[in-house]
Amino acid sequence: MHGLQPGEQPVARSTPLIPGTSDDGTLSEDTGKRAPCVLGDRSFEDVTNIVCGYAEAKMPKPWLAALTITSSIAALGTGMILYLIITGVGVWGLNNQVDWAWDITNFVFWIGIGHAGTLISAILCLLKQNWRTAVNRSAEAMTIFAVVCAGIFPGIHVGRVWFAWFLAPIPNSNGIWPNFRSPLLWDVFAVSTYATVSLLFWYMGMIPDVATLRDRAYMRLTKGVSRPMAIPMPIGNDIIVPQLPKPDQIRVLIYGIMSLGWRFSSRHWHRYEKAYLILAGISTPLVLSVHSIVSFDFATSIIPGWHTTIFPPYFVAGAVFGGFAMVLWLMIPLRLILPNFSDLLTKRHLENMAKILLLTGTMVGFAYGMEFFIAWYSGNEFEFSVFANNRVNPAKAPYWWAYWTMIFCNVATPQLFWFRKMRQNPLVIWIVASFVTVGMWFERFVIIVTSIHRAFLPGEWHMFFPTWVDILTFVGSCGIFMTLFLLFLKFLPVFALAELKVVMPQSHTHDDH
Amino acid sequence: MSTLDQCPSTHNKIDIPEDAPELGTVSGRKYWRSMEEYSATPEFKELLEREFPVDASIMDDTSRRSFIKVMGASMALAGAATIPGCRRPDRKILPYASNVPEHVIPGRPLFFATAMALPSGGMEGLLVETHAGRPTKIEGNPLHPNNQGKTSAYAQSSILDLYDPDRLKYPVFNNSTRGKLAATWDDFDVWANEQLPKFDATQGAGLAFVVDKQSSPTRDRLFMQIQQRWPQAAFVAWDPAENRGQADGSKSVLGQPSWTRYNLSKASRILSIGEGQIDQGPEAMRLARELAASRKLLSHTDEMSRLYAVESKPSSIGVMADHRFRVAPSQLHNFTIALAKAVLLKTAGSGHLLPDVDVAGVSSTEIQAIANDLFEHRSHAVVLPSDSLNADTWALCQVINDALKATDEGLVEFFPMSPQVASNSSHSLARLNNFLNQGKIDTLICLGTNPVYDAPGFIDFAANFAKAKNTITLSVGASETASASTWSLNGAHYLESWNSAQSIDGQMAITQPMIAPLYDPARSEVEFLAGLLTAGDDHADKPDGYKIVQDSIRDIMGLGSAEIGKIWKNALHNGVVASPTIQSTKKPLNPERLIRGIATRGAKPAPAQSHLDVQFYTDRYNVGQSANNGWLQELPEFGTSVVWDNPLLLSPNTAKSLGVLPLHTSQDEFNPYTKAQMPQAQLVNITLNGRTMIMPAWILPGMADNTVAIKLGYGRTNAGRVGNQVGFNSFDVKTITGMLTAGATITKAKDTYTIASTQNHWSMEGRDTIVRAMDKNWFDKHAEAGIKAVPDQIYGAFSPDATSYLNTAEQLGELAHTPPNISAYENPQTGSKAGAAAGSAFSKNPQWGMSIDMNACTGCATCTVACQSENNIPVVGKSEVAKGREMAWIRIDRYFTGDDLNNPEEIFNQPLACVHCENAPCETVCPVNATTHGKEGTNDIAYNRCIGTRYCANNCPYKVRRFNFFDYAPVKFNGGLDPNYTSKAVADKFEDTVGQDRTANQNLIPPRLRKKLDEISKMKFNPDVTVRSRGVIEKCTYCIQRVNSARQDVKIQGIWSEKDQVGPIPDGFFEVACQQACPTDAIAFGDILDPNSRVSKERDSHRTYALLGYLNTKPRTTHMMRVRNPNPAIHVFDAHDPLDHSGGHDDGKKSGSHGSDSHEPAADTHGESHSAVFTDSVKQYLDQGYSLSLKVIS
Repeated sequence: MHGLQPGEQPVARSTPLIPGTSDDGTLSEDTGKRAPCVLGDRSFEDVTNIVCGYAEAKMPKPWLAALTITSSIAALGTGMILYLIITGVGVWGLNNQVDWAWDITNFVFWIGIGHAGTLISAILCLLKQNWRTAVNRSAEAMTIFAVVCAGIFPGIHVGRVWFAWFLAPIPNSNGIWPNFRSPLLWDVFAVSTYATVSLLFWYMGMIPDVATLRDRAYMRLTKGVSRPMAIPMPIGNDIIVPQLPKPDQIRVLIYGIMSLGWRFSSRHWHRYEKAYLILAGISTPLVLSVHSIVSFDFATSIIPGWHTTIFPPYFVAGAVFGGFAMVLWLMIPLRLILPNFSDLLTKRHLENMAKILLLTGTMVGFAYGMEFFIAWYSGNEFEFSVFANNRVNPAKAPYWWAYWTMIFCNVATPQLFWFRKMRQNPLVIWIVASFVTVGMWFERFVIIVTSIHRAFLPGEWHMFFPTWVDILTFVGSCGIFMTLFLLFLKFLPVFALAELKVVMPQSHTHDDH
Repeated sequence: MSTLDQCPSTHNKIDIPEDAPELGTVSGRKYWRSMEEYSATPEFKELLEREFPVDASIMDDTSRRSFIKVMGASMALAGAATIPGCRRPDRKILPYASNVPEHVIPGRPLFFATAMALPSGGMEGLLVETHAGRPTKIEGNPLHPNNQGKTSAYAQSSILDLYDPDRLKYPVFNNSTRGKLAATWDDFDVWANEQLPKFDATQGAGLAFVVDKQSSPTRDRLFMQIQQRWPQAAFVAWDPAENRGQADGSKSVLGQPSWTRYNLSKASRILSIGEGQIDQGPEAMRLARELAASRKLLSHTDEMSRLYAVESKPSSIGVMADHRFRVAPSQLHNFTIALAKAVLLKTAGSGHLLPDVDVAGVSSTEIQAIANDLFEHRSHAVVLPSDSLNADTWALCQVINDALKATDEGLVEFFPMSPQVASNSSHSLARLNNFLNQGKIDTLICLGTNPVYDAPGFIDFAANFAKAKNTITLSVGASETASASTWSLNGAHYLESWNSAQSIDGQMAITQPMIAPLYDPARSEVEFLAGLLTAGDDHADKPDGYKIVQDSIRDIMGLGSAEIGKIWKNALHNGVVASPTIQSTKKPLNPERLIRGIATRGAKPAPAQSHLDVQFYTDRYNVGQSANNGWLQELPEFGTSVVWDNPLLLSPNTAKSLGVLPLHTSQDEFNPYTKAQMPQAQLVNITLNGRTMIMPAWILPGMADNTVAIKLGYGRTNAGRVGNQVGFNSFDVKTITGMLTAGATITKAKDTYTIASTQNHWSMEGRDTIVRAMDKNWFDKHAEAGIKAVPDQIYGAFSPDATSYLNTAEQLGELAHTPPNISAYENPQTGSKAGAAAGSAFSKNPQWGMSIDMNACTGCATCTVACQSENNIPVVGKSEVAKGREMAWIRIDRYFTGDDLNNPEEIFNQPLACVHCENAPCETVCPVNATTHGKEGTNDIAYNRCIGTRYCANNCPYKVRRFNFFDYAPVKFNGGLDPNYTSKAVADKFEDTVGQDRTANQNLIPPRLRKKLDEISKMKFNPDVTVRSRGVIEKCTYCIQRVNSARQDVKIQGIWSEKDQVGPIPDGFFEVACQQACPTDAIAFGDILDPNSRVSKERDSHRTYALLGYLNTKPRTTHMMRVRNPNPAIHVFDAHDPLDHSGGHDDGKKSGSHGSDSHEPAADTHGESHSAVFTDSVKQYLDQGYSLSLKVIS
């Protein structure tokens, strides 16, 4: 086991992959049989080389181009945030009737995106869905980055950012505590818990693979020097460390620290498996709780269109929906930009996730219908008006287009996945995932803005229009998200090696798949 | 200066900063005798090299240090309170309170009585709150008979003019060759001594005055003396927005121009013709109060008057009316003729002489019904004509009044008008203009007027003004005329000067200064005039306003010098000098000639698209003089709610047929607001009498068709940084024919124009429970029947058979139909109904509450500006308002109801501030506990704790919470229109980019790059109220500072027996700012647990309901539903019992005839998209008068 030398590429596939065709062998025509999780007759070493390869080799040009673009956008977004903070929240298009708009829309949108990662890593782990191994690491990473983006918005949307620490339950000389009745405070706890657990889960799962990177970094630098696995930690070791080039020293140092002394011992593995299972257990309720609590921001209010008991399950379903759409949206280009991953991230995975999209999309559609039905059934004119006249009716609602965009994207487009051909076509899946991502953003926009822009008293009705700062802040958050994800692709193990190898055919003496 | 010795600050002469060149500051009179002589002095040589830049101002951009230097070293600002009294005026004035404190108590305000003369006659008696010698708030003087403790919005906002940083600060001499030079009053005196005595030889020929029409006895006396000195001098009493109806009309029937007073306390039938009677004018406050009083009722036994209004444009009186008719200005004349004929035919008068005329907008049966009703109630019926009507119409209205015996019964009284006020100012100005053009005027003196700006466009006054050799302007604020004058003199604000004012019945009051002139030395009008009288006498004393006013009062009242002392003190203390001195005239009317004349002249043609009727109007006395007053600029105009602008107004159908509708989306033809972030109006060319100007067109439902309403007083070019370039100068197309004219045409121009409005939706969307209304017959029936027990859970306890008791107004709302609300959670507030039940958390006195009577609210918005003044609410500017970020704590929601927006059935005003819910939705959601509940039932907010999540604002069903999106209050404000807000370098850049956009929003510049508020502007703040920074929420506090101060006062007086007791506070012990200002007493505030308080009586009324009460918010502010008193012969609003929900009302609410234009073809109504209903399936509930029901279950 040794790292790739500079310029060396991971082992090439014997039969080249042609994207968009079925010759990649992912599709099994035999319905009784599932396609394998790893294609191309890969050996264990091949898999290791593929996963670690991008961290060691030079990244392909499209990645570099993408990073340039996204980091510029991220810088722009950061500039917008600074401008907001030094000038005032008024640089956004908010007003006294629509006090939340894109800020909270973006917050809920990103939090929703973050749901897929935990769902895949926790619930699918507990349910022993082994296909999850191909996507869990990147989905978890996506979760972390989405939560980072989500955390930005409530942080900067307050009028006095420098006093945001008032939200923390810190004992102070005035004896003033936060208001524990406020759903916004519940949000603070829910989101921070979620972020912490997700981060732990993600990081812990990565430790063995980071250790692999560490070892490979060391070994590729000491090319030819054979070293036993038992002493993989070069730092502080009595073995003489050869004079390495600077960047490689740093890699060894950082991966060494990050791997927390992992030595691949079976005791390590044993404890690792236990801890992983426990964290999966802890994360599972969080999948449900976070978005339920986010939905309380609205559900506990008295504003028609917000005050809806269906929100907790509806938000969770929507979050899973949006999260999976984002996973798909990222994974499909990933297979093109980093083609070596195509054997590990197969169409079978895509198809499975497309099925989840279909399921959750239909749930969301049902929720939309129920919401409308209850508004009518309640006989409350304010309630019904919000649904009928603020959202649905193009003859009256100025934001009708937002509502119908949402319906089209979230309810109509996933119905394509009833057709097998559609859910096996990466391009179609990617397009649908794009629609769903847009639709889920609009769902939050519809809930937040269309409800409050015309609430009880027509005398105070007012439209919301985003300013360029609104738009660029959101675009900037996308840039931050993408930049973090691209950096993840380069520097961290994108797949869980051990788990991946477990589901490879070689690890099964029996042929039950 | 000999008498001005009491204040140390006046010892220091004004110290003009180094960079301002001076013209003979060392008192030139010792050194030179003429301009020629002076130009040879070294001082002048030096001056030439340091030419004073045009429009630069000394006080601008001052640091605190140089400010203090200018103001005098011992100037007391907040914090520098070592000599707290030193900015107080030099003369002894008496505090209002009878229990005079020995000295000023730091932190406690003192109140002084004074008087404000209104721009075109009449006055308001005021009390001014001063903190450490600094006036901060205007209130009405309760002892003054006219306004009785109330004020107009104009008076409320006048304090901002005092602290206007763009005021004139020192005399400026405009030398024709060397430009504008900073000068001093000494310089002016020397110049005047040199120049003015030459008119003694010509007896004043060549000298002209343009003065405003204020009625100040002192000033009038000085004018008489000036006329004695210079009998040939020309005087023009100039009112740019002059209405001739009253002066000319009364002359034609009484033979003498007269003021009219209507005593509505005895009237049961009132017909208003035209607009503005209760908005502007010397009698507006009285009229509004009496009109509202005649329409207030608490129970079914109370009587109320019936009010008809015939008007062209929705106005406050029309909105209050039981029957409102939309009639074009020209047709008001026809209407009056038709009505006069109908009435006079009943009284054996000369009605047969009058022609039969057609009135577009009112059917003859309706006119007959009105005439019948008035006649049946003769002796108690009165017609209120607007001043803006033409003389014939106005006079004919008095003929009707006479026929109805209103004049005999004292419902109408006439008081002789002074010749100065009665003079036709348009004609005088036109004559002066000719003289100027012919070069006959050598010296022109403008006093408080601005004719260069506001003369009608066609006489080109500005060009002729320059033809006078010398022009002198005395003005408080910057003005176009001052800037064009040879001498621009800085006047003293009325809060800085001695003067007197007079109501129409001769009741005199003294204007006493609250503060020494901020830009000392400055002269008031009377001092300036007195100075002119002694011009030429080098040894005359400096004019002293105190002495002049005292002398004139003594003179007018014929008192000896001993008597005056006592009367003077009383007058200063009470704000009222003595009882009325002018008797009402009892001259018999002489209608015969008038009627024959009218019959000869005939009716007026109805307007059409090709010749539109035009109505010029002013809002809150503003003819341009208030342009730099941000409070008035941002006070929503009645009806349109437009701020910072004067678009020309059209009815929806007229705008549509002319093709000039504002930009709108396909959904909402008449609501243009959804198209762009800032609503866009279509620019149009309006042509009137051969002159054309460009203006934006805006629609106003309820306008008469084919009528254009144009507001005057905008488009100033030299008003200051707030008022410059705001709106359009409509004086350009104004003619001398008065305020109502005809024959305009409108064509569409190319561009669009941004309009900011605080309310963006016309209709109530059929949500009848928001503003509830009921016809009087049904109200009487149900109120008599008493409260109704209904099974209801919302306010009740848990048991399913709990009962709620609903009064009449509540039965009209959701609560009567709310299904049982069974909850497993026991709300801790449940024990406390909004009435604070015994034993609940809110059962200890005092428990504050407010009641708003929507029968009395005229929509004048005085409460809004009073609140702004009291609570330091910032002005945010046009572009911020356009984005929906106005900060006013109390707003007036205005709704048009009915199916046809063009001809709304009714118009409602609903004042709304924070309602202080006992069960407040905002409090539960605030994550940091910044908004919490007070023990006295107030919803409090701690600005320090607020981090600005705005969750509370989102969760507020009333949407009354306001967020500081920017640093509105602490950063310099410039109107949102002028880009000169940063350092020069930055400003230069913006000049080319943002500066081109007149709506550029300087708030988008980080506050650190902007100027902080100047020291002068900071003085306007009420020291009892925090100035909020950006990022915090604010809203109505029930004037918590006044509550707290009252609690302390009561405690000091020792009426509470127990040591820890904090209540009760007697009703009327204090008033909150909106209540105090409300001219019609529509707002009651007090302790709801005190059974004798006005608020608790109103809450017990069957008219009281809780807005959105079904949400269980338990608001402490309740509204009283409107009760109408319609004439069944014309139209009833509730054809069926509004509380009878058994159905069978499919024939709709309309019955009787409601004017021919109300039944226009369906194609013209456009009502579908914005009329009262959401969907047809819901409409049937709405028609039944309630809107919340469970159809499926029941």
